[in-house]
Amino acid sequence: MIAISAKGLSKHYGNVKALDNLNLEIPENVGFGLLGPNGAGKTTAIKLLTGFASPTSGEAWVAGEKVGEGNLAVQSKIGLLPDVPAFYEWMSGRDLMHFIGELHGLPQAENKKRTEKLLELVELKKDGNRRVGGYSRGMRQRLGIAQALINNPEVLFLDEPTSALDPIGRREVLNLILRLRENTTVFMSSHILSDIERVCNMVGILNKGKLITVDSVEGLQKKYARSVFEMEFIEGADAFVDSLKKIPWLVEPALVTENGSPKVTVRAVNAERARKELPRLITESGLTLTRYELTVPNIEEIFMEIMTNGDKK
Amino acid sequence: MKGFAPLFKKEIRELLKLYRLIIVGSIFLFFGLSAPLTLKYLPDILKMAGDQGMVIQLPVPTAAQSFASYSGDIGQIGALIAVLVTMGCIANELKSGTVVITLSKPVSRSAFVGAKMLAVSLTFLVSLTIASLVCLAYTVWLIQGTAILPYLGLNLLLLLFLVFCLAVTMLFSSLYKSSLAAGGIALGVIIVQGIFSAIPIIGKFMPGKLLSWGTDLLTRTNNQYWWALGITITATGICLYLSQRFLKNRDL
Repeated sequence: MIAISAKGLSKHYGNVKALDNLNLEIPENVGFGLLGPNGAGKTTAIKLLTGFASPTSGEAWVAGEKVGEGNLAVQSKIGLLPDVPAFYEWMSGRDLMHFIGELHGLPQAENKKRTEKLLELVELKKDGNRRVGGYSRGMRQRLGIAQALINNPEVLFLDEPTSALDPIGRREVLNLILRLRENTTVFMSSHILSDIERVCNMVGILNKGKLITVDSVEGLQKKYARSVFEMEFIEGADAFVDSLKKIPWLVEPALVTENGSPKVTVRAVNAERARKELPRLITESGLTLTRYELTVPNIEEIFMEIMTNGDKK
Repeated sequence: MKGFAPLFKKEIRELLKLYRLIIVGSIFLFFGLSAPLTLKYLPDILKMAGDQGMVIQLPVPTAAQSFASYSGDIGQIGALIAVLVTMGCIANELKSGTVVITLSKPVSRSAFVGAKMLAVSLTFLVSLTIASLVCLAYTVWLIQGTAILPYLGLNLLLLLFLVFCLAVTMLFSSLYKSSLAAGGIALGVIIVQGIFSAIPIIGKFMPGKLLSWGTDLLTRTNNQYWWALGITITATGICLYLSQRFLKNRDL
């Protein structure tokens, strides 16, 4: 089943294309990370998908419901944490949760039960009776996540959920998102690449309002594999490196020392051929191999490559 | 109007928590008290303040004068308070972002505006009721002579005028993120219609004419401004409709 679908979704402010022709399909129970530099259109995409902004053109469906035109069924099925969550300062955290539960039409007993459970989940139970006005930014962020979950949403939208958190708070929130992903589709925007890599299994990269690429994390890693092989040997490998320099389909062979242990790195012009032939060359060298790896790029490296060179078609 | 009940409950709690009801009620109470007291004791105050030989002749105060003074004060100060209390109603939520948390839940924009309007109207109804009862009690006690039905009519017309002021301010509050801009423009509209209500031909169509109708009821002058009444009710409804419409079409 598709949890989120966008067809030609665009939002223009005069000549500025905040979001340009977004086409996207996200299956259920996927952690989707929308990556992009500041001003790429991530918040605009979330606003359009949650019905907080009307598109210049295009359509979107979330949890089987068409977004916009006052369709409140969408709001019943989603949870939203805005980029800067703002609450009624005079309310206590517990009051706010009850209020949000009432807006969702939860029966009183269930509302109370869910409130306590979620306050515990985000570790605010102890501070539940304190005024929200006195909460720290991290506490507000956690309260924001709790209020977004009160209706057991099918799809959870999180706009920069970790941007204001300290390292401990960030780790807690990311662990929470990982747990939520088991039953909920999570759509998360961020410019913190390591966060996306940690909790998302599908990634979209947005730049200047355009979705440049969308794929699973593994798919992107495969697509952007740099064909760099790393090898470690017990013996010295200078002669082996010299022999690799003579092979035309291998470039930049080098002996580098990292953390005190030497390793041979080499980039293959033809990755397929290198995969087949390199093991034979190692055997012929007579060296004792301790590690052999085709390095996989992380999301940050992929992101930087896409931002610099564009998407690989 | 999905979500109206919890939103209305929240608005009432907010009115109480932020002491808005007490503040508005106290100001109205002051004007409810001051009208009969001033009328009754003004001659004595002037006598005490003036020279021994000076003679100031003032007419004997009447209940109609007391009620007219009360109506004038509440009509003017009440309109100003209506603007001050309502100008941030939606604008502040738009500016702070609390509107996003609320409207990301299954609640309609009309319930959002309606709950705010009903809560703030109730504040004015309660405040006006207290002020009118106090004014009535002190007038009966100090000045004597009452006309209950005209006085009731005057208060109903006052309430309608104030609700109109609330709706106008609510409209601009949904249009602007700045509560000062919303309040300033709403006050401008109320002042302009007040000026127009003094112009003979178009005045009878203006909401401000309801205040004149109220005082005319006390003096049994046979002036009736049904057009002004109809236009006030229609304009109030249009303002509320447009408020929720603007909110619906607005990118949050």
